[in-house]
Amino acid sequence: MEKKRLARTALLAGVALFFIIMMIRAIIGAYTLTPMSTAEDLKDLPLWQIPLAYMWDYAQHGWVCLGFAFVVSGLFSEFIPQSFVIRYLSSKKPISYLVATLLAPVFCVCSCTMVPIFTGLIYAGSGIGPALTFLLVAPANNLLADVVTIQVLGWQIALADMVAAGISAVIIGYLVAKTPWGKRFEQQFTNNRTQTGSVELIKQPIDERLWNALKFGGFLAKRIIPPFLIGLVAVSYFQAFFPSDLVRTYLTGAFGVVLAALLGGPLYTPTLIEVALGKALVDLGMSPGATVAWLMGQPYDIPNSLSTYRIVGWKIVVTYGSLAFVFAVLSGMIYGLLAGGL
Amino acid sequence: MKKLEVDVIGVSPPCARCKKTEENARKAAVKLSSEGYKVEVTKLNITAKDTISKYGVLMSPAIAVNGTVKFMGKVLDVGVIERLLRQEI
Repeated sequence: MEKKRLARTALLAGVALFFIIMMIRAIIGAYTLTPMSTAEDLKDLPLWQIPLAYMWDYAQHGWVCLGFAFVVSGLFSEFIPQSFVIRYLSSKKPISYLVATLLAPVFCVCSCTMVPIFTGLIYAGSGIGPALTFLLVAPANNLLADVVTIQVLGWQIALADMVAAGISAVIIGYLVAKTPWGKRFEQQFTNNRTQTGSVELIKQPIDERLWNALKFGGFLAKRIIPPFLIGLVAVSYFQAFFPSDLVRTYLTGAFGVVLAALLGGPLYTPTLIEVALGKALVDLGMSPGATVAWLMGQPYDIPNSLSTYRIVGWKIVVTYGSLAFVFAVLSGMIYGLLAGGL
Repeated sequence: MKKLEVDVIGVSPPCARCKKTEENARKAAVKLSSEGYKVEVTKLNITAKDTISKYGVLMSPAIAVNGTVKFMGKVLDVGVIERLLRQEI
């Protein structure tokens, strides 16, 4: 029995290590993991071949990056102690903002864990501020999105997006908690702390935990890859035929930042597709500042807002939505200026 | 004999992981029931006020036995749930 466990542990750890090492090798070798097709390459192909060529190009480079992201997401969600995160998130102290910003995105890659934690935090009376910060950061900065953004759009833009999204989420959460309607909303739930049940998590043996981690990675892959492929088909046509004059005229300069923030929001796209579409737009001439604003448009897309509206009411949704828009524009402008002009 | 009350806590409508957890919990329950133990599996909605006031903030899916949350945020195999239930008997 012991030997069997050891063998299982070694096998599972080996699979995880394989992706991690491949990723490190790719980073050290500066070997690109993104599709390299340009509009010129794609335009001359027959119509049906465009998505195939684009996807083949993507698959050749992208599998290491995606595999790594899935494996590491699984490992994080399994090995970061959950009760620790939950305890600090609901602690009602300023540290909950910090935990929400730094840890939530690392282990929260699936929307079905996000919304329950959000509602849980609110009903348990931990305050709307940290709950909102958590809700805004988790999808924008999750590990999967980060790895793909770094590989596809470069680390400068990815880093700018991460930092800007983190800072603005904290400020937005804090500000909303200070508004009169935010305070009134919070007051409904302050006396809600009468737990009859308890939480005593059980530790599993290491081979079972590794198995959980890989299983979760596999689940993510199964959920994310099909829409991602459909997205790539769309992006491939987009890249081949969308007039780059339009992009160069409207998605550059200060106006471009505002427009990108507007488009990136309500237009609902899963993060990974947003990144791929962003890459196509960049190739067609979108400016760096506008790219950052585009990426930060995540938290106020329409379906997301609708599901939070049911819990917190429209006043709070409108407040954080408009704040998120303002911050997307601001971050885009700042990044544009730092990167050498809008 | 002690009765086991198993709560499977997940989102409604169920996501794939919650559904799988409930399925596995029911399979383990059937197995123990066939050996004569009393096991009752209930599905709770993680975002319902009642659930939150009972258990606090959880990650879905979670499994609780007799009012104590034992696992959260992961899908467990039938064998693991079975082992958990046997420990509680």
